[in-house]
Amino acid sequence: MRPDDIKAIPARHPGRWIAAAAVFVLILAMAYSFTTNPRFEWSVVGEYFFSARVLRGLWLTLELTVISMLIGVALGVLLAVMRLSLNPLVSGASRFYIWLFRGTPVLVQILFWFNITALYPNIGFGSWSFDANNLITPFIAAILALGLNEGAYMAEIVRAGILSVDEGQSEAGAALGMSRLQIMRRVVLPQAMRVIVPPTGNETISMLKTTSLVSVIAVSDLLYSVQLIYAVNYRTIPLLLVASIWYLLVTTVLSIGQFYIERHFGRSATRNASLTPLQQLRAALARRGAAQ
Amino acid sequence: MVKAEGVHKRFGNIEVLKGISLDVRRGEVVCLLGASGSGKSTFLRCINHLEKIDAGRLTVDGELVGYRQVGNRLHELHDRDICRHRAEVGMVFQRFNLFAHMTALQNIIEAPVHVLGQPRAQALQRAHELLARVGLADRGNAYPNQLSGGQQQRIAIARALAMSPKLMLFDEPTSALDPELVGEVLEVMKSLARDGMTMVVVTHEMGFAREVADRVVMMHEGRIIESAPPEQFFTHPQHERTRQFLSKIL
Repeated sequence: MRPDDIKAIPARHPGRWIAAAAVFVLILAMAYSFTTNPRFEWSVVGEYFFSARVLRGLWLTLELTVISMLIGVALGVLLAVMRLSLNPLVSGASRFYIWLFRGTPVLVQILFWFNITALYPNIGFGSWSFDANNLITPFIAAILALGLNEGAYMAEIVRAGILSVDEGQSEAGAALGMSRLQIMRRVVLPQAMRVIVPPTGNETISMLKTTSLVSVIAVSDLLYSVQLIYAVNYRTIPLLLVASIWYLLVTTVLSIGQFYIERHFGRSATRNASLTPLQQLRAALARRGAAQ
Repeated sequence: MVKAEGVHKRFGNIEVLKGISLDVRRGEVVCLLGASGSGKSTFLRCINHLEKIDAGRLTVDGELVGYRQVGNRLHELHDRDICRHRAEVGMVFQRFNLFAHMTALQNIIEAPVHVLGQPRAQALQRAHELLARVGLADRGNAYPNQLSGGQQQRIAIARALAMSPKLMLFDEPTSALDPELVGEVLEVMKSLARDGMTMVVVTHEMGFAREVADRVVMMHEGRIIESAPPEQFFTHPQHERTRQFLSKIL
């Protein structure tokens, strides 16, 4: 005979209730303030939220983020592989690059690339040459600064990923006759992804916000676009809210994307992948159904 | 198949191999025994150039390992040639080292497709045959971490066999296994030996050595101190050190 299920009185947790009550009161107070303080000017927020200039700025911010991250990741992989090279000159070059680009503020780098024409008025070799002023537009300067800077950070992330892969994996590849490049590309990097992806997601989210620095060189990204608007109509707070809400929305979307990418690369490491929110919901409903 | 003459290997100042001379004929199964640190794994790794030898001569199937002889001078081989050499020698590791991000089937076809350039369909067909041979026909789509240690090691053997190697090296293939899983791996190795595969096996499985080996070689502190057919090796060991070793293990 199976004994009856245990029906115990749950333990009391008064501390949790007090903390929950305090948090609840704070949330109410903030919600009250947000909705009743007229200086938030929510109607202005609504008016400009989908305005063409804001959306153009948002689009440019997204472009900057994506292109800079692509440059950063590609450069990061290259620099990480260089850093692990047995040739001291090659690994030294990578070390120097990382030292240089991590050691200076990205804002300074943006200004530097913007003013690069003062250093190199013409870019090219011999008779094949461009006027740097035409080539280095503010947008290009922004991409160069953000992408090259990101490369230095990504290099360290990729290197950590490569080092996290057990040496036996490379050895097994070598024993099968794979070349060093094949081992890196087909064996080590795919497994390093599990370690590389989460911080890269953070870098992408961080990049989204770092792009706002390019407003200093008059690239009309999301922040600069709202700055231009409030410079004329003085609705500073509501327009900053417009920008902030857009940044939050994009960050949220990126976080969700990151969750699915991590799940994809973690598939061989954990026997059971973590459930997606939808699956969690279904599982919870199923449990509830079974309980009744 | 393998011919070693006075092979030396140093790690820093420590001499790990102090002149190994050994001949392994085609189709022969040689078991290397010895305490840990005696250099048996290092010697095995030298055979497919995972380690570089410092002195002596080592050939596999008549070809120098890692070097090319021009007149009296040795030239280091290019990476490409080292890879070609390794592709002809199968190796099975103590800790399996299956590619963790690939299924069993993907593990097996990886090198045939990307190193030998076999068409995928052909490699897959052969992979299925090999899976059946190691008794895992139904586990082709499993990832390594979904398999037991014994199953992983059998997949690793199938992966090495997929390259149709001239020679198989086993580096303590059962040492990382739970005792009840050792048998299934040894079974596969025995069937390989019956089919005439040339094998060099570093092992602590005395039963396997006695039953399958054509010759048992005892290593001690970087030297071969005894080499004999298993019957003689286990019943009349010549060297004092061998007697000590056997008395502890058997």
